[in-house]
Amino acid sequence: MADRLLYWKGCMSRLKVKGIADSTMELLDLMGIRYDTLGGDEGCCGSILLRTGYPEEAKKLVRLNISQIGDAGYTKMVTSCPGCYRTFASEYPKMIAADLPFNVQHISQLLSENLGALRNKLKPLKMDVVYHDPCHLGRHMGIYEEPRRLIKAIPGIRLAEFRQNRSLALCCGSGGGVRSALPDVSTAVAKSIIDGPLGPLGVRAIITACPFCYYNFNTAGGVEVIDLPQLLLRSCKGERSNG
Amino acid sequence: MDEWLNKKDLEFREWMLDERRRLGIDRAVKAYVSAKETALQKMPELEEMRKEVRLIKEESIRKMPELAKAAMDAIIDLKGMAYLAKDAESAQEIFKEVVGRGKLVVKSKSLTSEEICLNEALEEAGNTVYETDLGEFIIQLRKEKPSHIINPSVHVPREEVAKTFSQLLKREVRPDINGLVSVAREFLREKFCTADVGITGANVVAAKTGTIFIIENEGNARFVSNAPPIHIAITGMEKVVPTLSDAFKVVQVLPPYATGVLMAAYVSLITGPSKTADIEKTIVYGAHGPKELHLVLLDNGRTEMAKSPDFREALYCLRCGGCMYECPVYRILGGSFGNNYFGGIGIIWSYFTRGPEGVAAAINACTKCRRCKAVCPLEIDVPKMVETLKSRLVRDGYSHPRHREIMESIAKNKNPFGLER
Ligand code: SF4
Repeated sequence: MADRLLYWKGCMSRLKVKGIADSTMELLDLMGIRYDTLGGDEGCCGSILLRTGYPEEAKKLVRLNISQIGDAGYTKMVTSCPGCYRTFASEYPKMIAADLPFNVQHISQLLSENLGALRNKLKPLKMDVVYHDPCHLGRHMGIYEEPRRLIKAIPGIRLAEFRQNRSLALCCGSGGGVRSALPDVSTAVAKSIIDGPLGPLGVRAIITACPFCYYNFNTAGGVEVIDLPQLLLRSCKGERSNG
Repeated sequence: MDEWLNKKDLEFREWMLDERRRLGIDRAVKAYVSAKETALQKMPELEEMRKEVRLIKEESIRKMPELAKAAMDAIIDLKGMAYLAKDAESAQEIFKEVVGRGKLVVKSKSLTSEEICLNEALEEAGNTVYETDLGEFIIQLRKEKPSHIINPSVHVPREEVAKTFSQLLKREVRPDINGLVSVAREFLREKFCTADVGITGANVVAAKTGTIFIIENEGNARFVSNAPPIHIAITGMEKVVPTLSDAFKVVQVLPPYATGVLMAAYVSLITGPSKTADIEKTIVYGAHGPKELHLVLLDNGRTEMAKSPDFREALYCLRCGGCMYECPVYRILGGSFGNNYFGGIGIIWSYFTRGPEGVAAAINACTKCRRCKAVCPLEIDVPKMVETLKSRLVRDGYSHPRHREIMESIAKNKNPFGLER
């Protein structure tokens, strides 16, 4: 039986930064990867509940989500949000003390796996960028190379590195429920990266692979922020970067 | 809004808006990060050693009560005095008893003494207390609270230090770092020699021999522990390890992670009070060093931590302070991100040693980014503990109103933003 893929948008890409979900779907279409979404039936992965002190409430969602996705016959699931990815892939199995009936990936993994199908579609993009490792994707899940591999696949792009990267990358400041409880703190942390280690790199844009990082860096302002699938789509379309 | 939240919000705001403090922290973080990088490169052997230290700490915490007792017995055998203080109040009582009233007390840095509000207690009892660690001295004069466990005045830039010293000496002191250090040196030298009591912390204690280790760079702890006739050391009971060789491993791992040096300038090993038998082989205590040695081991919530599978790991902490410098949020919130102890690990210690009130709001600033775990020599899983503590606090009524709204919105609308389905 063929794999059936679900694209789990996650609350941020679904409702706050829809551009991320739209670009992701457009890119998947372009690559000929078939997927479904749950549309209005998509729920919450529970990550934010786990971070803000409501593990019992999160547990209720776990069973709900697993049966919703499993019963619909999906064998694979891909997320835009590293938070959803970590929660499904690493925390759900612990909470139910069993493997999930479907495989979970972050979008960077799925795209990287299908780089063959993507590569010949990528058109040159003359841009100096830096990749920001999202905490949930990097330190929590150990995914450091896939996003870099994808960025470097774009002809003409120059990928710089923060002095402290991968497991030592700085947090953008929005995780763990901080953005909702203390928005000024989140913004100040992001700003301290933009005003601090970003400057000497002389890049035009920060590439993220997380809608929370994307949103938070944008709020802090002063630099162009591009989510990974957005960047790849831009390259596919041969769009000249503005500016 | 609840009082406990309000108070912390104001404190956060104050730190965020204070450019001078940010400048101080920025400079310190930069200096620390590059010094540590160099030190770790030069000492690849630390990779193995820090793993050994982790095992030593695991064993030590497993045997914490026995080791504390063994260390105390050893010190008493040596004609020193040793105490196990169950909480801050009883520790204060021990100090008041030993120090007495109207005494001149010199201290080297000890966060454990801050934990029990020792200075306040001693001053209330009519004693004069001088902090002699430069950083502590600065903030004592400024009547501030420490903002970092290794570098308590991390938030005070040189220009501010100059102002403080000018006030102390009632003459103009220039903001030249060398000159500022000399000012402190001259002022404190006389205090060391005339003090009645010296109080230090202890970075590690070897149980079998009852040896107290004090690690420092300034040399003040040597004076404090040696010049006055009475030396009292205070430390958490989690600092006791089985043997001298265990303690030496801790001593090797701590300095590079604490200050980016290969080794601290001074490590004092103290095994009992000063003594001589040079006249007729008769032992007399208090030859050149202190006649009395007292060790106060502090429990104050540590036994409870040791028993808890969720929080035991916090006791492995060597208090190098590295994770604070490396914390992206600490860089913004400094000394307001915690309560006596700082950063994620500090929130755990504060909760157990000082209760929920002081951390219930600060905990909301932790992004659980896990950077602290990545840089910790013992790889202590702080974010996991913070998450568990957060749920405990919520259960006990300390939930953030925004988080509550989100929880309710998810239950009702399946999204956190309060948007109708
Ligand atoms: S948690 Fe680790 S890095 Fe932080 S102070 Fe303790 S030992 Fe050092």
